Amino acid sequence: MRRISGWHFVLAPLALLFALPLVWLLVSSVMSNAEINRFPPALWPHGIKLDGYRYVLGNALFPRWFLNSLVVSAVAVTANLVLGSLGGYAFARIRFAGSKLVLGLMLATMVVPFQLTMIPTFLVMKQLGLIDTLGALIVPSLVTPLSVFLFRQFFVSLPRELEEAAWLDGCGRLRILVSIVLPLARPALSTVAVLTFLATWNDLTWPLIAINSDSTYTLQLGLTTFQGQHHTQWSAVMAGNVITVLPVLLGFLLAQKAFIRSLASTGLKG
Amino acid sequence: MASVVGTFTVDPRSRAAKRRARGEGATGWAFVSPSVVLILGLGVVPVVWSLLLSFQVNDLVSPSQWVGLANYQALVKDPAFGSAVAHTLIYTALYVPLSVVAGLAIAIALDRKIALIGLYRTLVFVPFVVSAAAQGVLFSFVLDPEFGVANSLLLKVGLPAQGFFSDPGQALYLLVAISLWSGTGFCVIVYLAGLQGVSTDLVEAARIDGAGRWGVLRHVTLPALTPVTIFLLLFQTINALQVFDLVFVTTKGGPLGSTTVIVYFIWEKAFKTFTAGYSAAAAYTLAVALLVIGVALQLYRKRVAGR
Amino acid sequence: MSQHARNLSRRDVLRAAAAVAAVGTVGACGKNDDEGADPNGVVTLDLWHGQVDLGKAAIDSLIAAFNQSHPKIKVVGGGGGVTADSMLQKVTAGLAAGSYPDIAYIFGSDLASLTKSPKVADLTGQLKVDGYWPAVKDAVSVKGKVRAAPALLDSLCVVYNKKLFAAAGVAPPAAGWTWDDFVATSKQLTDPAKGVFGTGWPGVGDEDTVWRIWPMIWDLGGDVVSGDGKKAGFDAVGTKALETLDRLRTDKSLYVDPKPGSEQLYQVFLGGRMGMVATGPWQLPELKDAGLDYGVVPLPSYSGKPITISGPDTWTIFDNGKAKVKAATEFVSWLADPAQDLQWDIKGGSLPITKATAEMPEWKKHSAATHGLDVFVTALDTAKVRPTISTYPQISQHVGEAIAAVLLGKQSPADALKQAVDQCNQVLAVPS
Repeated sequence: MRRISGWHFVLAPLALLFALPLVWLLVSSVMSNAEINRFPPALWPHGIKLDGYRYVLGNALFPRWFLNSLVVSAVAVTANLVLGSLGGYAFARIRFAGSKLVLGLMLATMVVPFQLTMIPTFLVMKQLGLIDTLGALIVPSLVTPLSVFLFRQFFVSLPRELEEAAWLDGCGRLRILVSIVLPLARPALSTVAVLTFLATWNDLTWPLIAINSDSTYTLQLGLTTFQGQHHTQWSAVMAGNVITVLPVLLGFLLAQKAFIRSLASTGLKG
Repeated sequence: MASVVGTFTVDPRSRAAKRRARGEGATGWAFVSPSVVLILGLGVVPVVWSLLLSFQVNDLVSPSQWVGLANYQALVKDPAFGSAVAHTLIYTALYVPLSVVAGLAIAIALDRKIALIGLYRTLVFVPFVVSAAAQGVLFSFVLDPEFGVANSLLLKVGLPAQGFFSDPGQALYLLVAISLWSGTGFCVIVYLAGLQGVSTDLVEAARIDGAGRWGVLRHVTLPALTPVTIFLLLFQTINALQVFDLVFVTTKGGPLGSTTVIVYFIWEKAFKTFTAGYSAAAAYTLAVALLVIGVALQLYRKRVAGR
Repeated sequence: MSQHARNLSRRDVLRAAAAVAAVGTVGACGKNDDEGADPNGVVTLDLWHGQVDLGKAAIDSLIAAFNQSHPKIKVVGGGGGVTADSMLQKVTAGLAAGSYPDIAYIFGSDLASLTKSPKVADLTGQLKVDGYWPAVKDAVSVKGKVRAAPALLDSLCVVYNKKLFAAAGVAPPAAGWTWDDFVATSKQLTDPAKGVFGTGWPGVGDEDTVWRIWPMIWDLGGDVVSGDGKKAGFDAVGTKALETLDRLRTDKSLYVDPKPGSEQLYQVFLGGRMGMVATGPWQLPELKDAGLDYGVVPLPSYSGKPITISGPDTWTIFDNGKAKVKAATEFVSWLADPAQDLQWDIKGGSLPITKATAEMPEWKKHSAATHGLDVFVTALDTAKVRPTISTYPQISQHVGEAIAAVLLGKQSPADALKQAVDQCNQVLAVPS
């Protein structure tokens, strides 16, 4: 027996307001080029035209671009989860000399904006021979100060008791992390996973600088080839955006299931 | 966060525990070294390179010249840089607190098990996911002074039509509004995750003691979320002070320079006017400001935590 | 390994390496030997053409034809991962890091800044510049030396919507019309009830905002910079030009495009909400697609004499070794030959780079089939280009702000001009 909660009256309009760009994308992705190319644009298409989708999906390199983006993002997410949780846990629970300094230094690398640092980063990647390969995209995103710090903050706010019990029983730190802390940290894991995936999936500036061959393009970079100096394939651009956004939203829909209050607190009674 | 329960456990200062605590250094370093090597290894070269660049006259394509502090001296006298700083500070001062508070409010609203909650959470996240370019197209349509939906609505209600992105006095605040709309999703997801860690025992205990919804919020939830709040304040501030993509896609620093923020100034000076050394000096001024904020936040945390 | 097998495998390995180098890293340029040719004598060239869609199809077929007919040179047109708009940023980063292509598609207004790098090849004496339109020759020369080959040619003319003219009962414009005529016509075409504007102008202050005003300045006897290059050249006449824009604003007949990129401006025209707009030949295919009944006339002027602006884009060659520069020069010269230029123009939307191409019967046929294209070509005779000086981007920024201030009604033409002139004089006072 479930009554319709009053919260729907708050959440539904809110969600709709936020969802506006998605609605816009979906509607304009099925318009013809000529319709979108008008200003002010038509608010409703004159019949559904899938030309944009055909253009994007028919592009011989599109599957390759999708795969490239998927590979980069998947590796980045995995690496961030592993390295970020390891580092975050150490900074949160282990006392070791220089930990505060090192954490501070890692955060300090974020103070110079990417618009400048991309040139020396390009130089470093060139020395490593990674330019024009997916490696140039993967290596800089294997772990970020954001992931490490986020994990640290979550672990700090977890109650220590479970870990302390295991610690006194003689468990090693690694086992504590893997068997006890991480299962409680599903929300944190999901958050870092989603944010890392988004950062790599949507990134355009760095792939633009680091990648030269069209078979190595990421999805976002490939989609820019539909926008010319004077003439843009708008229906293809919109269709491309829809195709780019949907996997992320789907992934998030699945990931947000992890945001359920954990039952950890019950383990502490008595 | 010392917990009440802790005082009843076995004294952690037992000899075995002490011995293990002393040997922890190696474990600690082992855990953090991959991250440290990657982040500092890839981060040191750019940071040092940019610092050196700020002491040169360098257009990136021809041989450079060392000029010491000349770039910094010119920066101080440059009204365009002063405006960029002012614009960035206004943007940050508005965006950070509003996004954090709104993020918390929305996260609390989304932290319940009702039908369609998964869908609501996903939709709230949409603006954060959609590319800046696509959002740029949407907003330039909605906010066009002549043909946009926004002005036609205003006219229908009897209010005067606005200049929006054509009005130097309004453009910056519009960017704040758009950023709030697209950036709040970040705060929502982080707070939502943090809310899962708030102990339901403490909430129950507070309720039993007679606390209402606000009481629970003030005395249980917010204190429990402090680490997350600190994280969000720090990252939102860094993001706000480094805002670039939105400006690049919508106004390109205009109209009449009213939305030129520091990082846009940096990009222009490096890639449009070929004065990268000057650009680096501006970047380092920003960097020092960020470091000062970071250190100040650290000290505040220390004082609050009493450690 | 036997003698025979060793020779065979070495060749195969080298061929494979050349193929990998061509498809893979830019950084492989010049690694094989100092001169850039692999031991077979085949020089591989990296071309970042920045083209998309039709332009890309055009250049791809040209590259294929060149590679076939020139076995000693292999042009790889991978595009470089960047479209023309982002090309400057990527090339600059590449030059700074020592990893840059052999040929890149560079906007004419960016050429002078890039030539500050010693890595931009000097092509003086290598190209057949005498066949170019005079504007084109100016556009690719910096400080008297030819530093690039022309890639795309355009000119600015006025395109108008015949239906809107008929609906307003206004006679269509003709060559030789004045700016006064333009302002009056624009006012007559404006219909606030229907949301129709007479004309439009970008209001962002970017290069597209600025380049449209130079024909007005030139017609009045001014220039971007003075003869000695030390001062702004438009101080005397700039106010009059800005006043014309101001009149359009007070007449409310001007749609000011608030979005960078100028797309919205043309989209309003394509949507039938604008009577006329100054644009280039690239617009014509879209007008045909939109089914618009349009006409083309030259830009108006104050004196009644024709004058317009052309903004050529260039193929800029970078120095990755003598052999590569030589091969690249051969490629761009081949592209400018009438046979190839013709294909590029017809498929890629450029105007003919040389007068010889414009005389070819195939071009005349194409021009006749595309309504209004001949007006753009004729305008090239009286077209001028922006000066190829490295301070142009800064001058453009200051003039752009002045125009935007006037269009938005924030400053009077006289004040806006004075501010721009002062700022430009400051910029030009620094020797470069």
